[in-house]
Order: sequence, then C-alpha cells, then structure tokens
Amino acid sequence: MKKITTCFIILIAFSISVIGQAKKPTLMVLPSDVWCNQNGYMSEFDNQGTKLKFPNYKMAFQSNSDLLLVIGKINSLMAERGFPLKNAESVLKSLEGESAEDAMLQSKSGSDVSETAIDKLKKTAKADIIIQLTWTINTVGPKKSITFNLQGLDSYTDKQIAGEQGTGAPSFSAELPVLLEEAVLSHLDNFNTQLQAHFDDMFANGREITVRVKNFGDDWGGDLEKEYDGKELGTIIEDWMRDNTVAHRFSTTDATENMMLFEQVRIPLYDANGNAMDARGFLKPLQKYLAAPPYSIPCKLMTKGLGQSSLVLGGK
Amino acid sequence: MKTMGLKINLLLILLTGIYSSAFSQAQKKADNDTENWRYEIECVGTGNEGTYLIKVWSYSKKPLVAIEQAKKNAIHGIIFQGFQGGKNGCNGQKPLTSNPSLEQEKADFFKDFFADGGKYMKFVNVTNDGSIAPEDRLKVGKEYKIGVVVSISKDALRKDLEAAGVIKGLSSGF
Repeated sequence: MKKITTCFIILIAFSISVIGQAKKPTLMVLPSDVWCNQNGYMSEFDNQGTKLKFPNYKMAFQSNSDLLLVIGKINSLMAERGFPLKNAESVLKSLEGESAEDAMLQSKSGSDVSETAIDKLKKTAKADIIIQLTWTINTVGPKKSITFNLQGLDSYTDKQIAGEQGTGAPSFSAELPVLLEEAVLSHLDNFNTQLQAHFDDMFANGREITVRVKNFGDDWGGDLEKEYDGKELGTIIEDWMRDNTVAHRFSTTDATENMMLFEQVRIPLYDANGNAMDARGFLKPLQKYLAAPPYSIPCKLMTKGLGQSSLVLGGK
Repeated sequence: MKTMGLKINLLLILLTGIYSSAFSQAQKKADNDTENWRYEIECVGTGNEGTYLIKVWSYSKKPLVAIEQAKKNAIHGIIFQGFQGGKNGCNGQKPLTSNPSLEQEKADFFKDFFADGGKYMKFVNVTNDGSIAPEDRLKVGKEYKIGVVVSISKDALRKDLEAAGVIKGLSSGF
C-alpha cells in the first residue's frame, strides 16, 4: 500500500513538472547584414536585372575567427545561465547534411522523399529569437576601440525584444580578440536582463504570435466575405480570435476577401488540459471549428516555429 | 601603587567600552545608510569573467566602518540598484532584480544575508588589500566619504539568489 502511495505521489509530481513547463524558445546568434557587408561576406544574384545581395553565413563562419570567438563566448555565457543557444554554424552543417541525405534517400520501391517547393523554402537556419550581432572597430591614431551592438529579434513578430549597444574603452595595446571578449562580458548581462523582462511579460500576458488566414478560393468556391447567418466569415474568425486570446488581445492588421493578418495575438501558454501551447496548438481548434457544420470548410494548417501559423481555407 | 594600577585598568576598560559602543553605533548608522541607499557605485573597469569591478563610496564618521560597509553596499547595490557606466567606456549594469519591492517581499532572507559576517561576504573581495587612494578619502562635514574598489562575484551571487528562489533564472518556467 505504501509503495502504491509513493508511486502515486511520484506520478503526480512528474505530471505537475511536465505540465508546468512552457515551450522554451530557441535562440541563435547570427552576424548582422551590415557586419557581413562590411567584411565582404555577401553573395549576389541577379533577380531579373536587379542585383540583390544576401549574407553568406557559411563563408563568414569559415573565414572569420573573431566571429567564432564572439559567438562562442556568447554561447558559453548563455549556457552558464541555463539557456544554451543553437550554434548557427552547426545548424548550417546539419541542414547541408540533411539535404544530401534526403537527395539520396529512396524507399524499397524506389520512390523519393516527398518535398514540396514550400518545404524546400523552409529549410533555412532558424530560431525563435535571433541575436543579431554587429561590431565595428574604431581607430583613432594608435588607439583602438570596439562599438558593439547586440539585438534580440523575435522571428515571428519582427520586434526587437532586447538590445544592448556601446563603445568600449579605447586601448593602445589590447588586441582585437581581447577587446571583443571584453565587449561581450560587459554587454551580455544587460541584454539578458531585457530578455528576462520579455519572458516575464510572456508569462504574465501570454505568448505573442502572428496568425495569417489565406484562401484556396477555387477549392471550395468561397472567400472571407461569404456570409453565414448574416455574418461574414472574416468576422466569424475575428470573433473566434477574441474569445480565445489572452484578455482578447490581438490586432487585425490586414483583411481582404482572400486574406487576413492578425498581429500582436496573445495566446495562453497552456491549453485547457495544461499542455504547453504554441501558435500551431492555438490554431488547431479554429481549424476544427471551421471544418464542422455549418461552415464545413477544410483548412490547411502551416506553422513556423513557436510563434507563427497560417490557416489556408478550402483544402489540405 | 596597587590602587594606581587598578585605576589605570578601569580607565582602559572604560575607554574600550566607549570606543566599541561608538563603533557599534557607527556600524548601525552605516547599516541604516545601506538600507536608505546612502552610497554610490561607479564602474571602474570590466572585471574578469563572472565579476564586476566597481568603486563604492560609503559614508561614516569612522573610516574603518566606511571601508567595511563598502562590501555590504556593493552587494546591496548590485542586487537592487545596478550602477552607471564610468569613465573610459566602462559599461553600466542593471540590477540583478527588476522587482522594485523584492527587498520588502524577502525581508527575512535579506536580514540574514546582510547580517554582520553574513553570506554576502562570500561574493565580495576588496582589491589592493583594502588600501585607499588619498583622493578616495574625503572629509564631508563631520563624516568621511570613502571610495573602495571591490570585485563582486556576480555570477556566483546570481546563482546563489536563484537557488534560494529570491530571483528568477533566465530559463525558469520553461
């Protein structure tokens, strides 16, 4: 009897600890476009006559040891704070390895791994929060100093949730790696304080996400202006959002007959069963709601990380 | 001759008593000053990894009390106040807690923590063996204002406060 009671207590304690955990965002440090441009780590391509530049992270990681030093330092300090980061260089290598593996993979009957164009597009290095890193070296005569800039960017809301900038002490003798290490040490704590404030806000007011509604109009012959009992479908979806967001907080940024964009959507961290919730988990009930009569609209649910989901009306 | 010796002994005991009472009163006043934020912190430089290097200005009629109180003030400031950036690009830091009423909410914890010889001593080191530069020893009215450079083991301090449940860790709740 005693053993059963002990087992029961352990089981309850375990389920409380599991339920009590919100989904942890992933963080990754990447050099900013400005830094890549200034240091010559950009690639160019011709888009119908317009030359476009984009950062070549792989080249930057392979060529610049100072970049590795700074990212390594930030990663190790964050791991010490109990928040290990995704290492961008490793993510890029994993993506390459995975692509090669997918290209070779075949079933016994000879069929390839299914991959749509959108699947290919989504295969990029990503994290829920990108820590964007920039530094410039200032030289005045023999003196050198570093201007350091860390920006924490939410990948889904495009908001800067933390930031820390400053110029370090000028030095005659210190070498660049020493100045960079000093810059990381003197700026990371303040950056983390702001990150902590962002997490505190998330626990108090819910996770902030972005929701998109799109339309495969031809598949079901309707759009967001189609009326049900005198109410447009767009309004029905807005009502659902109002009922399911924390303190009814969301903004309808765009709305046409074919698309809706909801920003600053605050969703609870846990669902009714106490399970951790993300943007996908939040939209699943809407998908079911619209699939049921009187609407009977099949919907495709797509997601990007913890904080962005799209619902496409009319088909899967 | 015997009576004379006895008198001298009594006088010595009396003087010691007066001195220690004055010292303990000065210490009490210094503790009150700490609670009332009567100290100043400035950044001296970027310390080694896991530390802050700061100068703490403390007030007391007795220089020794001010020097000793600097350690307590330093830890108090790091937890509740933070400090501004100093000269030569030295970067200011925010306090370890963003909760403005933490000191009241955890009053029992901090009473023990900041007691004389309390746990706060574990996280602070006086640099230069406690020697004070002449320009850091100022006479302001009847008091001394003394600047002491100390090194704070801020990572260890943060971990200790997190383990005690006084402040939240970056990953708590996840």
